[in-house]
Amino acid sequence: MDDEPIVRWYWIGDHLGYLGNLLADHAVIALVPVLIGLLLAVPLGLACARFPRLYQPLSAVFNIVYALPSLAVFVVLIPYTGLATQATVMFPLTFYALAVLLPTTVDGLRAVPDSVRQAATAMGYGPWHRLTAVELPAAVPYLIAGLRVAAVSSISLASVGALVGRGGLGYLFVDGFQRTFPTPIVAGITLIAVLALAVDLLLVAARRLLAPWAVREQGAGS
Amino acid sequence: MIRFEGVGKRHPDGTVAVEGLDLEVPTGRITVLVGPSGCGKTTLLRMVNRMVEPTSGRVLLDDTDVAELEPAKLRRGIGYVIQQAGLFPHRKVIDNIATVPYLLGWDRKKARARAAELLELVGLAPETAKRYPFQLSGGQQQRVGVARALAADPPVLLMDEPFSAVDPVVRAGLQEELLRLQSELHKTVLFVTHDIEEAVRLGDQVVVLREHGRIAQLADPHTLLTSPADDGVAAFLGRDRGLRGLGLRPAKAVELRPVDDGLRYGGWELALDDERRPIGWIDRSAGTAELQPSAGYRPDSDTLRAALDAAVLSPAGVAVALDADGRAIGTASREAVLAALTPAGGGPVSVRKPDPADAMGTPAGADTVGTADGADVVGTADGADGGR
Ligand SMILES: Nc1ncnc2c1ncn2[C@@H]1O[C@H](COP(=O)(O)OP(=O)(O)O)[C@@H](O)[C@H]1O
Ligand SMILES: [Mg+2]
Repeated sequence: MDDEPIVRWYWIGDHLGYLGNLLADHAVIALVPVLIGLLLAVPLGLACARFPRLYQPLSAVFNIVYALPSLAVFVVLIPYTGLATQATVMFPLTFYALAVLLPTTVDGLRAVPDSVRQAATAMGYGPWHRLTAVELPAAVPYLIAGLRVAAVSSISLASVGALVGRGGLGYLFVDGFQRTFPTPIVAGITLIAVLALAVDLLLVAARRLLAPWAVREQGAGS
Repeated sequence: MIRFEGVGKRHPDGTVAVEGLDLEVPTGRITVLVGPSGCGKTTLLRMVNRMVEPTSGRVLLDDTDVAELEPAKLRRGIGYVIQQAGLFPHRKVIDNIATVPYLLGWDRKKARARAAELLELVGLAPETAKRYPFQLSGGQQQRVGVARALAADPPVLLMDEPFSAVDPVVRAGLQEELLRLQSELHKTVLFVTHDIEEAVRLGDQVVVLREHGRIAQLADPHTLLTSPADDGVAAFLGRDRGLRGLGLRPAKAVELRPVDDGLRYGGWELALDDERRPIGWIDRSAGTAELQPSAGYRPDSDTLRAALDAAVLSPAGVAVALDADGRAIGTASREAVLAALTPAGGGPVSVRKPDPADAMGTPAGADTVGTADGADVVGTADGADGGR
């Protein structure tokens, strides 16, 4: 590998279509779980805000899932989902996304100032109506901040999926290592970074659009 | 009218917030609950819209026990204003104000038109409509909070220390505004504050509370300041309650010396311009042309306190009475102002707010707060106003 250059441009030129497919594959594997995670986190978060006792046990479960090594989870799942299916990777990624998004949703709902909650109640909002019509929209900046963390970590985690036969851009790492050929590795890293950056910028733009009132709001880890 | 009957609140942890309170809040008037922090003011206020349920006694709203009313419906008929405004951060000002109309199912256009009306009513510029709450100052947010509470024209307004979080100058403006609004709208207002100054300024009747919501005194502001029920209330009112009481009495009572009778007081002479506007005081003994500033007041709208203040500030010890255009109509020495403190006949006159009952053309007798007569008359008038 001594005289092998870091990048052989011709290889990249020859494999543009292939790289494009891997990139699209990677985006789906990484981001669909985040989307599903969001769709689950919102109702679960609302339920936790309404019934605070739910939150402790639920967040404990997701924290444990989050702590499990991803590779081990993939391997354990193979008998159920089959090797090389997208579900093998997407299923655990959904849980990881949920583990990030549930606390941010609950935090966001809780961060709504008490005065806002009381004013809403005093104007005749019932508890659920208030949660969905007042507290949830007010928590949007938190949700988007959570989505940014979840999306970026999901994009990075998805590459591990290659080790179980299905991994979008992660396959380039396996390939490069096996052939001691760094070009695919560099291409893979670059594309993952580009994907993560693009998604992040998209979410920042979404925040501007959906929560223009939050420009001054600090917090929410963004 | 709101009536508290033997109302108590004991929290599950054993804290007694309020114990056995009886109180009538007359229709169309401002009743202020004032007392130290933790004495149960907020608890009492929230019993009216059922955000707190009493553990004993009952609260009646126009003779209906609020416990029999559905909370959401009850609340949409009661305006509520709190210290932190509690505006919805994600909604523009106009939609914040229109909240209750939306909840009542008005169509969007009608609700927004009504909100725009209210924006103007509370003295905010039309372009404020499109702003978000974070773009407003504290005082502006409070105005929006008041507008939002008034949006569906509820007959009852609950206000929990609404002006406590803004600086004194803004607070004075908001108080002024509330009195002006009230003179137009005649709401039944239950107003909570820990600031006695604010209480006597705004209240038609003031309820001084002790811990556990016990009433130490219930009186109109003038009576409260001049004859506190006991040492505790006197201490709560503060040392200069006598002076503050002057702020409740009209400057009209001061006898003026007409301008035509001369402008000399001892060694001082008041200089007027061609339009009779004061220029200043000339010190005749000093023999210099230097003018000392004169201090004036408006007999038709100011209080005795303002008149006395002007007399004290004047180098000659003489306050200049001015008309609406700033022209001198007479002068009043310190002695003349002090003479007005002991009125020859009749009790103290309350001048501060137009009396809603009087405005409706009822006999003068209706001015005592809390009479069934006054309540009825205003109630009917409110109903007539209510239809938009
Ligand atoms: N949910 C609650 N549980 C226990 N005690 C309470 C609760 N809410 C209020 N209190 C107590 O009731 C008393 C009256 O409170 P509050 O009405 O808020 O007073 P204020 O508005 O006059 O400051 C206080 O001693 C307060 O600590
Ligand atoms: Mg309070």
